[in-house]
Amino acid sequence: MPRFSPEVIDHFTNPRNCGRLAAADVTAFVGNPVCGDQILLTARVRDDEISEVTFEAFGCSAALAVASILTEQLDGMALADVAVLNPDRVADWAGGLSPDQRHVAVLGGDVARRLAENHRDGVNDEAPVAGG
Amino acid sequence: MNLAAMVGMPGEALRVPRSEWRDALTDALRAAFAYHHEKNAFYRAQCGELTPADVVNYEDLHRIPLLPVGMFKQAGSHVLLTAGLADIDTEIRSTGTGGVPSVARRDALTTTRASVGILGGYRDFFGISKGAGLFLCPSTAEVPEMGMVKVFNLMTAMLDDHRYLVRDYSFDPEESLAYLRRWEGTMTRHIIGPPFIVARFMRYLELESIPVRLDPDSMIIMLGGWKQYTGRSISREEFNEKAERFLGVQRPRIRDMYGMIESNMLAIECEHHRKHVPPWCYVSIRDITDPAVELEPGKTGGIAILDALNTSYPGFLLSDDVGEVDESECPCGRTGQTVRFRRRRQGAELGCCAVSIEKYLDSHEIVAECDLADAPMGR
Repeated sequence: MPRFSPEVIDHFTNPRNCGRLAAADVTAFVGNPVCGDQILLTARVRDDEISEVTFEAFGCSAALAVASILTEQLDGMALADVAVLNPDRVADWAGGLSPDQRHVAVLGGDVARRLAENHRDGVNDEAPVAGG
Repeated sequence: MNLAAMVGMPGEALRVPRSEWRDALTDALRAAFAYHHEKNAFYRAQCGELTPADVVNYEDLHRIPLLPVGMFKQAGSHVLLTAGLADIDTEIRSTGTGGVPSVARRDALTTTRASVGILGGYRDFFGISKGAGLFLCPSTAEVPEMGMVKVFNLMTAMLDDHRYLVRDYSFDPEESLAYLRRWEGTMTRHIIGPPFIVARFMRYLELESIPVRLDPDSMIIMLGGWKQYTGRSISREEFNEKAERFLGVQRPRIRDMYGMIESNMLAIECEHHRKHVPPWCYVSIRDITDPAVELEPGKTGGIAILDALNTSYPGFLLSDDVGEVDESECPCGRTGQTVRFRRRRQGAELGCCAVSIEKYLDSHEIVAECDLADAPMGR
């Protein structure tokens, strides 16, 4: 089995929706303190659905790709569905992840759910880091 | 001598006449430059008018364009790759005090070359083929992509037994001592790890007044830097003195190494404590204020590394480190360059695997102390 799925290769090589939205309705950040992978999502919300979402990510190739994949998959999704997103679904979106990449599915699920929770609670995460 | 010979037998490659070393290194780096210039559009764009044909002699090596090592931390670092992601075999990372990981992606050929070259370097410099290794660091199972641990882990191939003594980001010196005692009299014992954890272990032996005499051929082998995340530096002289006193290891057998995860250069100390640049690399010292200017050997400046064995991305890197290079004869008989790290460039974050481990070790210990302090009486 190849180390990276075609979906991961595509999104790593051609990332979509990079950067931060200027007037975001909600921001969520999750980082893995051990390996350093981190994803920041900024989104606009209309009628309890995500209407636009962008990312900043740092870390392994799978983390960068999953962040990009998330922005495509979450766009138009109901916040209620985002709030229960699980890692298996993220791994499916990524075309499958090898065991050593599995932590990225967890990271992706965590940051998506945090986005929904933050919107519900009216809070925004400060991104602790800013990449160059 | 071609690149395969340099990588396969670094000990021999480090002992060829100086003129032969210069010619072989120039040929290898010119070929590497040509490879990336042809296949990597991003890198080619950085080269401007310069082409591989312009790199003729050893004196031209400094003209090969460099990539600032900070680019490996940036979003969009995929543009650095000459190989496609489908060809990437390993991702190695280092996280410094800033929290953003630097990730170096290596294809199969680069991984093979680097592994073989580093192992050959260990054999040449340490001559170890048996014994037991007390690894004062996490295992690769715990931190599979941490560069320092990967480099240490290669050493296990030369040993009969080994143990990793940092688990779940905690270090137990008593357990370390127990392993040293278990191996005593049956195997030559070596200690491997970043300087600050070895220093912690020696501090424990000192405080507990526990004398340990390792074996005549025992070595202490280190990587990870001498500056702690707090900014405090560990004194090498003081370290050596304590290693002699508390572990019975003589100075020529206390060895440090220098490298960075983005490069395949691991400079290993000989018995005279000079760190030898591997035969497939050229270290160029640059003016801090103008990195285009190469400084002569002996002058202090920014450390740039040109690495001939990397096919995954151009291994021509301007690091955030400051130091010197020395091309004078080393009493150990090896030719080529030796490198000395002085400090990080002003403004650069303190960043390496060892710093990351140390920071977490300390944070866990603080948490553990708080737990004890908050615990109800009688618990």
